[in-house]
Amino acid sequence: MSPLLELRGLGVRYRTDRGEVTAVRDVDLVLEAGETLGLAGESGCGKSTLAMSVLRLLPKSARVDGEVLLDGEDVVTMGWGRLRAVRWARASVVFQGAMHALNPVRRVGEQIAEPIRLHGGTARVADLLDQVELPAAKARSYPHELSGGQKQRIMIAMALACDPKLVIADEPTTALDVIVQAQVLGVLSRLVAEQGIGLVMISHDLSVLASTCDRLAVMRHGRIVEQGPARSVIAAPTHPHTQALAAAFPVVGDPAFRQVEPDEVRESTPLLRAEGLRVDYRGRGGVVSAVKGVDLEIGSGEIVALVGESGSGKTTTARALLGLRPPTAGRVLFEGADLPTSSKGLREYRRQVQLVLQDPTSALNPRHTVYESVAEGLRIHRVPGDEAALVADALAKAELRPPEEFFPVLPHELSGGQRQRVVIAGALALGPRLLVADEPVASLDASVRGEILALLLRLRRELGLAALIITHDLGLAWSIADRVAVMHEGVLVEQGTVEQVLLDPSHEYTRRLLAAVPSTTP
Amino acid sequence: MLRHVAGKLGGAVAGVAAVVVLGFFLFRMIPGDPTVTMTRGRQVDEAQIAELRALHGYDRPIVEQFGKYVGGLLRGDMGTSLFYRRTVAELIGERVGPTLLLVGTSTLIAVTLGLWLGIRGAWRRDSLFDRTSTGVALLGWAMPAFWLGMLLSMVTGDLFPSGGMRFSSTPPGFWPQALDVAHHMVLPSLTLIAVVYAQYQLVMRSSLLEEMNADYLTTARAKGLRDDQVRRRHAVPNALLPTVTLVFLHIGLVVTGAITVETVYSWPGLGLLTYEALAGPDLPLLQGTFVVLAGSVIVMNVLADLLYQVLDPRVRAS
Repeated sequence: MSPLLELRGLGVRYRTDRGEVTAVRDVDLVLEAGETLGLAGESGCGKSTLAMSVLRLLPKSARVDGEVLLDGEDVVTMGWGRLRAVRWARASVVFQGAMHALNPVRRVGEQIAEPIRLHGGTARVADLLDQVELPAAKARSYPHELSGGQKQRIMIAMALACDPKLVIADEPTTALDVIVQAQVLGVLSRLVAEQGIGLVMISHDLSVLASTCDRLAVMRHGRIVEQGPARSVIAAPTHPHTQALAAAFPVVGDPAFRQVEPDEVRESTPLLRAEGLRVDYRGRGGVVSAVKGVDLEIGSGEIVALVGESGSGKTTTARALLGLRPPTAGRVLFEGADLPTSSKGLREYRRQVQLVLQDPTSALNPRHTVYESVAEGLRIHRVPGDEAALVADALAKAELRPPEEFFPVLPHELSGGQRQRVVIAGALALGPRLLVADEPVASLDASVRGEILALLLRLRRELGLAALIITHDLGLAWSIADRVAVMHEGVLVEQGTVEQVLLDPSHEYTRRLLAAVPSTTP
Repeated sequence: MLRHVAGKLGGAVAGVAAVVVLGFFLFRMIPGDPTVTMTRGRQVDEAQIAELRALHGYDRPIVEQFGKYVGGLLRGDMGTSLFYRRTVAELIGERVGPTLLLVGTSTLIAVTLGLWLGIRGAWRRDSLFDRTSTGVALLGWAMPAFWLGMLLSMVTGDLFPSGGMRFSSTPPGFWPQALDVAHHMVLPSLTLIAVVYAQYQLVMRSSLLEEMNADYLTTARAKGLRDDQVRRRHAVPNALLPTVTLVFLHIGLVVTGAITVETVYSWPGLGLLTYEALAGPDLPLLQGTFVVLAGSVIVMNVLADLLYQVLDPRVRAS
């Protein structure tokens, strides 16, 4: 009896303008029926290419070598008619449905029923929706009317529509909040186990894979560098890359991941303070309160993590603190004085408090060189002194050395981590006292995250730079923050030192958040 | 939803009002005295012209003339043509039919042809079909309508009539008349189609190209759909959305664009009427056609908006 899925010497090359690029090289992999396999790796390691090659969904520019055996039948050499019959009926895919994998102008019920009608069989949409714990009425919804978690459930229902024996889940929970992620993973694992489906799950997050898969394979540069039972790969990784991946997702409560010395902040004076901060948005359905009375303080040289799910009001809080959005009620004080309201005063204030955004790729103008990007702030604020020297100094502080070599470089020539350093350098050039960083590492690869976090810590040690880090990632808060504030539905439900909040939470919501974090130790 | 529709209709009414104001004052700036037009070819003296002016109110202050014009409009009276000596409403009513027939048929064909070519071209991007069809479309787009019209009548010789809408010798019954009109319509509609279909094709093409790499198309392929099913069921409905706005906006404009074509082929429609009014200048008639043409653009715009609501669930919700 042949295995459910077997890859033999699989290689994938893409033809591009700059010649051939090898995405996957010489991969051998076996998955038995009912088995679950996690495929881990950073962006560009070839894991998605590998997954797409199973149903031959690669773009036309791809060239595939080797064999992809589905129940002993080679997908690579299959005729088109046979391939279409195999697709979805034998193996289906759970795409990152929270994003764009659903057709925006068709009802989700139709989209679930479509493959059933195509492959023959009765459309049992209500039944499928019930399996993923959604009410049958949702079949009449359009994708934009559903939340990210609901869309992902729709994706799962769709994948199970034709009773496949193999399901490939490509980053199924990326972009979802922790609690929703835990729910979606729960639904997926339960259904796969109940129906004896083989699962290949792809993720950049080892902890997600560890909590759902029996076996793990780690990819790098198109090769599988380590493979084995999930438990042993996580507990005792042999390949340095696996170790780096594991280290990039800090385990809350594990002292090994805590990078802050207990008494690192000795004396701290209040720097930025919000008192009874309230921000209302006027929408069509009336007034919506995004922030409902927040008291928050950041001391000089202190790193505070503001943690919460999307929609909790954490970004709005940050915008109010930066003076980008006037508060409806309450005050924001910087060094004891109210935020200025004049544009000149605000400009002066923003020199002191700089913003670092989540995605450095969109934060940087693609046509500006590194020098231009960093110097722009200096010019706006008319900072006196030698511009080139100031830019070089800022780049050096952000650990882009030697700085002169980065001057003429354009953003697309840099790696993700380097781009985020350029953004940070742009902020540092103005000599701020506080950085407000909105998900500073969320869009970065695992191995680079640690470096950027270390940079923030070092800047604090050497320049006394305080930081407010906005994140949904509790592990990140554990690894570098002094204090944590947990935000839920516009309210700070709990704040205190990292040890207090994350090890001994007092609020029910914090406990739920902590319980939902996927753990590498099953 | 109702509020949205009401808002759109309110906007349209405001637009028409602006057109009325603009039309009135704009045409007063055209050089030429309307009373001179009326008396062209006749022996008149200064006193008679002054009398004529007083009769039509052209000697009154412009604001008063405007008030009178608007008052008439509200009562459905668009004035009387100086040249034809018939009411403007009557003239327009008589000419609307042929224009709708010509423009309607041509637009229908041009839209179908353009969308079809655009979809095919985008789906097989950079293929021979894509390149030639885009090239040909651009050639048509770049060609002046009057020149193409003259060229077509020269090339086809006596095959198709190149003027008017029907021969007086045609027997009265419905079928002979219909055939005769269709025969007369071949050249004008060919010209109109050739000149406008390119933009439908190009918008559809680029709109579909943008959707080509969408993730939901990969989902559709993974489900085992045939290539043409992926295109028909998933790609085209999404790519069609921006095209709808353009098509409807343009139908309004095509009516105006028909001025040249109708003039070249002496097609007795609104376009030809506008041309004749301009030549005068026959002010009441010109104002009338202007309001009707601009009004049709506004109405189509509102229709496009409402149709978009029906087609795109995302717009419907907000």
